[in-house]
Amino acid sequence: MRKPRTLARTALAAGAVMVLAACGGNPTASPAAGDAVGTEASGPTEAEQLYEEIAGLSGQERRDRLVELAAEENGLNLYTSMNADMVDAVTEAFEDEFDIEPSVYRAGSETVLQRVLQEQDAGFPGNDVVETNATELMALQQEDVMAQCASPERIQEVPEAGQYEDWVATRFNLFAPSWNTDIISDPPEVWEDLADPKYDGQLALELGDYDWYMALTNYWLDQGKTQEEVDQLWADIVDGAKVVKGHTVMAELMSAGQYGLASSNYTYIVEAAKAAGAPLETQPYVNPIIARPNGGSCMKTAENPATAMLFMDWLLTEGQEVLAAAEATPSTAEVEAELIAVDGQKLLDEGSEWSQRYDAGEPGRPLPAPPQTKE
Amino acid sequence: MTANLADPAVTPEELRRPDDDTPEPRAARWRWPLTPKMFIVAGVAAAIGYLALVPLGYLIWGTFFDAQGLDLGSFQRAYGDGRMGELWGNSLAFAGGAALLSITVGTTLAYLNVRTAVPFKALFFAASIVPLIVPGILYTVSWIFLASPQIGLLNAFLEPIFGAAPFNIFTIWGMIWVEGLHSSPIVFLLMVAAFRSMDPSLEESALMSGASRMQTLRKVTLPLVRPALLSSILVILITSLESFEVPALLGLQNGIYVFTSRIYFVLRSYPQDLGAAGALAVSLLAVAVIGVAVTRLLAGKGSKTYQTVTGKGFRPRPLDLGKWKPVVGVGILFYFFVTVVGPLLVLLYAALLPFYQAPSWEAFASFTFDNFAQVFEMNSAARALKNSLILGLSSAAIVMSLMAVAAWISVRSTIPGRGIVEQLSFVPLVIPGIVLGLSISFVYLRFPLPIYGTILILLIAYCTKYMPYGMRYASTSMTQISAELEESAMVSGASWWTTFRRVLLPLLSPGITAGFIYILVVSFRELSSSILLYSPGNEVLSILIWEQFENGSFNVLAAIGVLMVLALMFMVTVAYKLGAKVGLRED
Repeated sequence: MRKPRTLARTALAAGAVMVLAACGGNPTASPAAGDAVGTEASGPTEAEQLYEEIAGLSGQERRDRLVELAAEENGLNLYTSMNADMVDAVTEAFEDEFDIEPSVYRAGSETVLQRVLQEQDAGFPGNDVVETNATELMALQQEDVMAQCASPERIQEVPEAGQYEDWVATRFNLFAPSWNTDIISDPPEVWEDLADPKYDGQLALELGDYDWYMALTNYWLDQGKTQEEVDQLWADIVDGAKVVKGHTVMAELMSAGQYGLASSNYTYIVEAAKAAGAPLETQPYVNPIIARPNGGSCMKTAENPATAMLFMDWLLTEGQEVLAAAEATPSTAEVEAELIAVDGQKLLDEGSEWSQRYDAGEPGRPLPAPPQTKE
Repeated sequence: MTANLADPAVTPEELRRPDDDTPEPRAARWRWPLTPKMFIVAGVAAAIGYLALVPLGYLIWGTFFDAQGLDLGSFQRAYGDGRMGELWGNSLAFAGGAALLSITVGTTLAYLNVRTAVPFKALFFAASIVPLIVPGILYTVSWIFLASPQIGLLNAFLEPIFGAAPFNIFTIWGMIWVEGLHSSPIVFLLMVAAFRSMDPSLEESALMSGASRMQTLRKVTLPLVRPALLSSILVILITSLESFEVPALLGLQNGIYVFTSRIYFVLRSYPQDLGAAGALAVSLLAVAVIGVAVTRLLAGKGSKTYQTVTGKGFRPRPLDLGKWKPVVGVGILFYFFVTVVGPLLVLLYAALLPFYQAPSWEAFASFTFDNFAQVFEMNSAARALKNSLILGLSSAAIVMSLMAVAAWISVRSTIPGRGIVEQLSFVPLVIPGIVLGLSISFVYLRFPLPIYGTILILLIAYCTKYMPYGMRYASTSMTQISAELEESAMVSGASWWTTFRRVLLPLLSPGITAGFIYILVVSFRELSSSILLYSPGNEVLSILIWEQFENGSFNVLAAIGVLMVLALMFMVTVAYKLGAKVGLRED
């Protein structure tokens, strides 16, 4: 499936390039073109060989060796969807520790995915490490462009829901209801409360939170609810709800009093607004909290593989505290509430169906049939 | 010096100066091979074709061909939604309403500004551009703060008079209002250029012959600026059809979905459904192609109809409003308080607060400059501002130079296939921003020169994206310039290039300046392709804004918005002062 698409694209690019570069340049001038595209054919890349070599080491010995190798490399290229505050904290701390300043490309997770796919397709080794949302990491895992490189000891510290074949969770984004304390005096205690008619006209849903929608639906089904009961709950939630786009706008309009209750905002956004004095609250948490893993991995085409490994190791040890200080929820931390992780694989396989279904569940409309779970 | 060209005192002979290029014989105009004209015309046409075909080719490939070959399934996926009828209905009502509003507002303001002795002129010109500068999301949210039934300040003020919540921004009318006002500067700039190049003696003749002011306006003034009006309608219709910010923030609250929300969803999925996005974009493309063809047809019919800049000299003299002056003055003040001052004050208010709350003594007591301080403390703010400035100024300059020649090809030349140039230049308008970014990164990742990863790739993206607007501004102005001026210069022995440079360019300057300003201002907001194409070190301002948005710091965002309005107002004023130095002089 991947090959023909690549060929077709290359043909198109060649056409476009030739229009302009009739003078006859070499369309595959990128130095690493050969290594990147031909991974399947030509065996492991240099980076992969290094990952394998280091994999046998552990503890201080591993760290020392990586620091030694990283000194011979040329910095670190990181592509991430962490927000600016978080990434600034992380890169500054990493630089303080190792005197290596990471060069960072930041964008939304979908854009990070598109960028990596485009570059890999063209054999351009733009980044060494990618750090983004579960859905996009699952897509990259499927494309077979990443290699698990973090220390196995550290991976063990991450809950099982955050361990995947090619990547590992570094932090969780927590979805929890939040409310304006001036408007809502009896906040929801369980997720089912969102369907309560007393919140009609006060509840807001976010346009793109289908991952939350999928996880909550599955949680309810696992709890023994029937499909009909779950559908009814969603119909009642959607009835009388307002739809907003974007989590920041969601918090801002709630603090202004446009509505009183937000179904699924990120806790870190609400905490930040609260810290600024806004009358918002997210605790006591509605249990279980829905957690979406965000994680990272090294690229098979990394040009600075030792630095990449060092960064991943560090992010799962010292970096975890830096993440916590930046209002994130580190993947190795103990959380006092019950966590339900969004299933990355399921999101990849069924994401677009859940997205369409969530999109269709607008106020006053019946939900269409649920997607058939794939075997 | 060139400013005098519209003045009849300048004889064609004066156009010849000793330092001019060697004059070509008149016949050389038609001798194609190896003249500078040929190189310039062919070069510009090739550049436009290249810029337009890269994204179009990428999109069409994704729409019609998949791994197996020709595939029409993407149309099924894109249009298979049972609600397509409703989505299109909403979209058309929204886009049509927004176009009507912005055309009315933009044209009226432009007419008053250029053709009448209206009071508060300076304030007025600057303020007409403000909605263009404020990023869409901020403009829309500030309207929520003003006119939401729950928290709207206007509703609170007017409640004692009109009862509870006279305004509801979360309706199709609210969407039309916000989008229409936000787009009115595009129309304003186009119409200012058109009115500047209009000979007032035509209107004066009508008045002398006994026509009333309204009759003159209807029968003489508006028909003369029809090309500019058509261009405005076309651009606004398509940009409103594509707009997602306003429908998402205002429409969704009451379940008003539009057709672009489909594009948003199909592009967000993985694997990305480029095919479905393309299939959706094809309908926009059809609207655009028909629109451009109709504009060409109407503007081309009796090509002299709209040529108001002729060999006869004229001074665009302002019309005295007489007894209407106070009425118009009050109307303008009202307009500005409602549409410009209101949203700006709300932004400033939000920028001074740690978090948004309804105005109260408590709120005023918590005013702080922290949000502004945070903007100035950002590491990359200075670099991003510099990059945005470089990109904005250079893309505006490149696009307007290319489009000045392209407008000549399209409007004035007799070269076969000239209509295609205009059609092609319009193509990027219908390409979703993210697809534009993907197509450009796709090509330059495989390009022999190291353009990927540099600021050049952003420049290419901006030039592509703003080409359609540049073309509308340039070609609209070109239709107003009479061919006789060019012919006189040629007869007097000036070469094509000299004529272009010394005669056409100065006369085009109202349109060129307007286009330049438009591109400069909106380029500061470009995000959808910048975010895919930038690299560490060449961040632009819109990326910084987006980062604040992701951080959840809406109030810092409001502070950036306020600063942007101040900075860009300054630049627009400078650009217009410079633009006014060449071309037609006003008294």
